Amino acid sequence: MDTPVPTDGPARETAPLTPERRLLELLRSGRLAAHYPEVRGLLSELSGEGLTRAGQLLGRLDPDEVLREHPAVPAVTVAVTGHGTLSSLVAPLTAEFARHGLLLRPHVADYNSFVFDLSDPGSALYAAAPELVLCVLDPALVFDEVPTPWHVADVERVLDEKIRLLEGLAAAFGTTSRGTLLLNTLPLLRRHTAQLVDYRSRAALGAVWRDANARLLRLAEGHPSLVVLDLDPLAAEGDLVSDARLSVYAKSHFSPALLAVYAREAGHLGRQLTGRTKKTLVLDLDNTLWGGVLGDDGPDGIEVGGSYRGEAFLAFQRVAKQLGSQGVLLAAASKNDLEPVRAVFREHPDMVLREDDFVRITANWRPKSDNLRDLAEALNLGVDSFVFADDSPYECGLVRQELPEVAVVRLDDEPALHVERLLRDGWFDTRELTAEDRSRPAKYREESARSDFLHSFSSLEDYLRELDVRVTFTPVEERDVPRVSQITLRTNQFNLTTERLQPQDVRDRIADPATWALAIRSSDRFGDNGLVGAVFVRRDGDTGRVENFLLSCRVFSRGIEQACLSALLRHARDTGLKAVYGSYRPTAKNTTVKDLYPRYGFQPAADDGTTTTYRHDLADIVPPPEHIRLTAHPEGQAL
Amino acid sequence: MTIDDFVTLVRDELGMPVTAEQIGLSLDEVPGWDSVHLLWLVTALERETGRRVALPDLLEASSLGAVHALYVPAAGAA
Repeated sequence: MDTPVPTDGPARETAPLTPERRLLELLRSGRLAAHYPEVRGLLSELSGEGLTRAGQLLGRLDPDEVLREHPAVPAVTVAVTGHGTLSSLVAPLTAEFARHGLLLRPHVADYNSFVFDLSDPGSALYAAAPELVLCVLDPALVFDEVPTPWHVADVERVLDEKIRLLEGLAAAFGTTSRGTLLLNTLPLLRRHTAQLVDYRSRAALGAVWRDANARLLRLAEGHPSLVVLDLDPLAAEGDLVSDARLSVYAKSHFSPALLAVYAREAGHLGRQLTGRTKKTLVLDLDNTLWGGVLGDDGPDGIEVGGSYRGEAFLAFQRVAKQLGSQGVLLAAASKNDLEPVRAVFREHPDMVLREDDFVRITANWRPKSDNLRDLAEALNLGVDSFVFADDSPYECGLVRQELPEVAVVRLDDEPALHVERLLRDGWFDTRELTAEDRSRPAKYREESARSDFLHSFSSLEDYLRELDVRVTFTPVEERDVPRVSQITLRTNQFNLTTERLQPQDVRDRIADPATWALAIRSSDRFGDNGLVGAVFVRRDGDTGRVENFLLSCRVFSRGIEQACLSALLRHARDTGLKAVYGSYRPTAKNTTVKDLYPRYGFQPAADDGTTTTYRHDLADIVPPPEHIRLTAHPEGQAL
Repeated sequence: MTIDDFVTLVRDELGMPVTAEQIGLSLDEVPGWDSVHLLWLVTALERETGRRVALPDLLEASSLGAVHALYVPAAGAA
């Protein structure tokens, strides 16, 4: 029988369990599924081999059992296929997904079956309906097929065949699956290059190999559902890429270390696919953005530029600015007095980051967890969209404890490592950057100006009238596709059904004559908000069904939803519909729109336990709010 | 490495509820066994024992006991 393990009875040991022992204890006592929400926190302290071991333990759990206990845990079906033995990828993958709060449902394809899996629409892989397919490619894919002895021209020929094959498979995948396909570049190994004794041939091999990898990377441009992972930067981290013994004997061509970093990247993609991309980077100041303590050392005593350590902090500031230029909102949270902090940002000659780079600078003596909550409220974002970076173990521990949804990047007293630590987990990775992304920080700064403006009015109505909100409500066009897809992926609060749409899903809806795909844009006296929402309606006979209604949290509470709903219902009536249905599927984040439909005249029609459906008979349609100037052309022409 | 140490390692690394009595079973009969577990065991065993064994022998092992035997120094060896 099993050796006895401590259960819920009195603790036999006083020392706290390591995360791995705690996982083992939960697994052995049969309580791991019940305690699944605890897993994410346990994994946050693990990395490398420890994380893979944890994935091994988690892999013994049946995902369905976890879902029975915790129906709200987001599950992602991931198919693993490719060249060679790939079942060793499942353990690190399980752990990496769990770290991000995702439950992995793995489907591991048969050995070397990826060509069949991806080309046959009836394959077991497609039958598993994966949201993400990992097709793992390794250099043996090519070297298994060159003759003995081989020449550079042989490698070039096989590479060409393989890239053509992969292009065909990517196309087949695009027409068969709604999911995302991940391919990867092929690392070139010394055990292959060194078989050529002359430098000239070796260089030629390197060149044809890189050409093939470049073609592979460019495949993604023509295939919207394809992502190509560049393994070169991961291989360059210095871990062993391929273990000769495992490769030769077990046909496991990538080393456990490489599979672990591959799984980490796949986890980032899983986070992005499920709408969990982070939006805001909250930075500590003392010993994070500059060396030293401002309160003790004074503005002239802190290290920023001009010294060894000062240069390291500057490099970190440049990376933060780089992220900010791509739509990541930067905020500062520091235990300091506010005025000296502002003075550094304004006057210190060496600083790269300035006040304008931040949506908010908070410097006070309150617990940072409180400041993060306030910041979330001011920006109208959830704290789960925050990444918090701090060198203090105390502050990191406090935020982890108080706000487990926040991703904590633990820095230390070596500023040269700050950049790697921050970038390690691809927190802000996204499929495609839109114009909205680049202007996002400016829009959020306008938001705080609006917030100050609001405080100068006695009533919300006065405020809204003066705000001069203009809304357009028009069909989604091709150029809107990336942004509309992004809204479905990023929006969690005003999202009635939380159905995430990849760009191709949006295109399908535009092309479908029975679907209205409508984009909402707004602007006001402080500036243009851009494309802030979308509505999808499917018509069926004389009824319409609102598939989803989304609005960016930046423009809540201004009557925009009422204006659009009003226009939509009028258009439905004018085009001969008899009723419009709308559904609400609750998640942890969208309670704010729970009563949206009943508030505007819809009657409850059905409730299946997960989704409530409402019906509007189009008799009495709510008018648009008076303070909004609405231009609506739901079918491309003026109403 | 004693049998008990080995069983503990399998239980801790793989989370498998195996017992010392089960290590003579054919791997096919060990509840929850998957061939991928052998690959993980190689890494763990080499880390714990500092010994490198011939991978083909390990991949051909028919039971956990046979895997363990590979890591026990032959009689008379240093």
